[in-house]
Amino acid sequence: MAILSDAHPDSATDAPDAAIRATHLTKTFGALRAVDDVSFALPPGRIYGALGPNGSGKTTLIRLLTGLARPTSGGAEILGVSMPSRPILSRIGYMTQSDGVYPALTAGENVRFFAETYGVRDSAAVESALELVELADRARSLTAELSGGQRRRLSLACALVHSPQVLFLDEPTVGVDPLLRLQFWSHFKALADRGVTILVSSHVMDEADRCDELLFIRSGRIIARGSGADLRSRAATDDLEQAFLKLGGQTEVTR
Amino acid sequence: MSGRRVIALFRRLTQEIRRDRPSLGILFVAPLLITGLVTFIVREGQAPKVDAVVVNQAGPSGVALTAGLDAALATNGGSATLAPDEATAAQQVADRDATLAIILPPDLVSAPSPTITILTNGLDPPGEAAQLAAASRALVAQAAHATGATPPSIEHRTVYGTPNNDPISGYAPALLAFFAYFFVYILTGVSFLRERTGGTLERLMATPVRRGEIVIGYTLGFGLFAVIQVALLTAWVFGSLTVPAVGPLPSFAIGLGIPIAGSPVLAFLVVIVLAIGAVSLGIFLSTFARTELQVIQFIPIVLVPQFLLSGVLFPLASLPAVLQPFSLVMPLTYAVNGLRQVLIRGADLGVGALQLDLLVLAAFAIAFATLAALTIRRDVA
Repeated sequence: MAILSDAHPDSATDAPDAAIRATHLTKTFGALRAVDDVSFALPPGRIYGALGPNGSGKTTLIRLLTGLARPTSGGAEILGVSMPSRPILSRIGYMTQSDGVYPALTAGENVRFFAETYGVRDSAAVESALELVELADRARSLTAELSGGQRRRLSLACALVHSPQVLFLDEPTVGVDPLLRLQFWSHFKALADRGVTILVSSHVMDEADRCDELLFIRSGRIIARGSGADLRSRAATDDLEQAFLKLGGQTEVTR
Repeated sequence: MSGRRVIALFRRLTQEIRRDRPSLGILFVAPLLITGLVTFIVREGQAPKVDAVVVNQAGPSGVALTAGLDAALATNGGSATLAPDEATAAQQVADRDATLAIILPPDLVSAPSPTITILTNGLDPPGEAAQLAAASRALVAQAAHATGATPPSIEHRTVYGTPNNDPISGYAPALLAFFAYFFVYILTGVSFLRERTGGTLERLMATPVRRGEIVIGYTLGFGLFAVIQVALLTAWVFGSLTVPAVGPLPSFAIGLGIPIAGSPVLAFLVVIVLAIGAVSLGIFLSTFARTELQVIQFIPIVLVPQFLLSGVLFPLASLPAVLQPFSLVMPLTYAVNGLRQVLIRGADLGVGALQLDLLVLAAFAIAFATLAALTIRRDVA
């Protein structure tokens, strides 16, 4: 197989007002290149889907972008500020892959706690975040007693309570039933319409069409970027899964 | 009953435990470590070094006795020197410039059975018992040699407290300090481990929260419960509330009623400063644990040696020389010492020794807090 050409020509990072920007972002763990020379610039107000199999580096990419992990080389910028930057964190929401909520607190107490860590003292914000995920009636329930789907929703509320401008959602729909998944995506759409930039990671291809733009990730590299329709036509297939395999296996990744 | 299923269970357990290296380490290494440490302390413990000051009221035979005593005590690195008067000698013992003072009576030679008074400091009951025994042996031998008279009887007095203190006074500091230290460590360690494994720390690190804020927040949170626990324990240990007889019930007392010369509030303060350090120690050590079980497993490795070397069970002065430096870098040692200052001596905040203990405990708390803050990003970076 020939060498992969640069999957992200410099024009990919040109957008001047990008909400999320990666510049030759690389993170290695020993010999493993978890994120390998990733560059992109994502204009605001859209939903981006980072799609790739488990272990392809999606979570590491999000951790680099949020400043939770330090890159081995390269850099990340959020809203024009180079990461890691503590002040910019209050404009970022991060829904972790695990629920990341406190089981011994009630749903309301969890949202309030994370609101306060972001400096939000407004109880209306707590209530509206709970309403958005339709948990207002469970606000007084212990988190340990919530169902798996309800905890997922609570986790989303905790990531939204401070009205972030950039939202990272790491596999938000894992273990979420189809109906709830629909609700999640309509929330995301509504947020994007309000100008929030959302990066969703997923390994489920059938969610891809809900994203405005897709980033195919394999072995820490962006192997293709574009809208679902765009990627399908490039791979000459109707099936995104096929497109992923085809574009990934291709020696030249075209834009 | 299926033998195969039993064997399947047996095999699964051995596979699991074999891969849990920390558990294996604790299971096999910790008992060796602790029993080894105790044996080493007991077997290699030093004969107490006694630096005696002698108040001689017995004339030339007293001088001769002192010289003989000096030679006898020198075998363990000690000495016997003459002091001008009892007040000076008592001061030297109080300041720990001398291990103990020996007061030779005027009737040392003439009396049929003279009484020699030995004055010790009083703040380290187990340690002083050993020193007193060593000094008495040497003294009786030398007195018989120097005067040819009947062996003297020894009277023991202490500068602080009384020699026939309630024996529990020597252990009360351990009761107070160790439990606060122990439970605060477990609470924080397990709680912070949950934070690390439950994904909440990851999320917390994505908020503008500072590491220092987390450590201080934890210190306040668990500090509150430590305050309640220690207040309750202090009241229980020192208090004695007599409940009058009611009907057929005889009157009884609630509380252990251990005598305390100083203020229980100061004793409380010493333990709280120690417990605050334990919060950060718990956060710090939770970095090295993957499961709650492993947090518990640090107890024999980290906490039990501190207990053994804190001077509660084995006097510091008689610890083997190689272990002495270790006891000096363990917070529990200073807590025990500070508590003895309060309990036995009745020290107030003006006493230098107590100030020093509190300062060292505070320094430990700050050092542990810094370590804890440094580890918070460690697994996240």
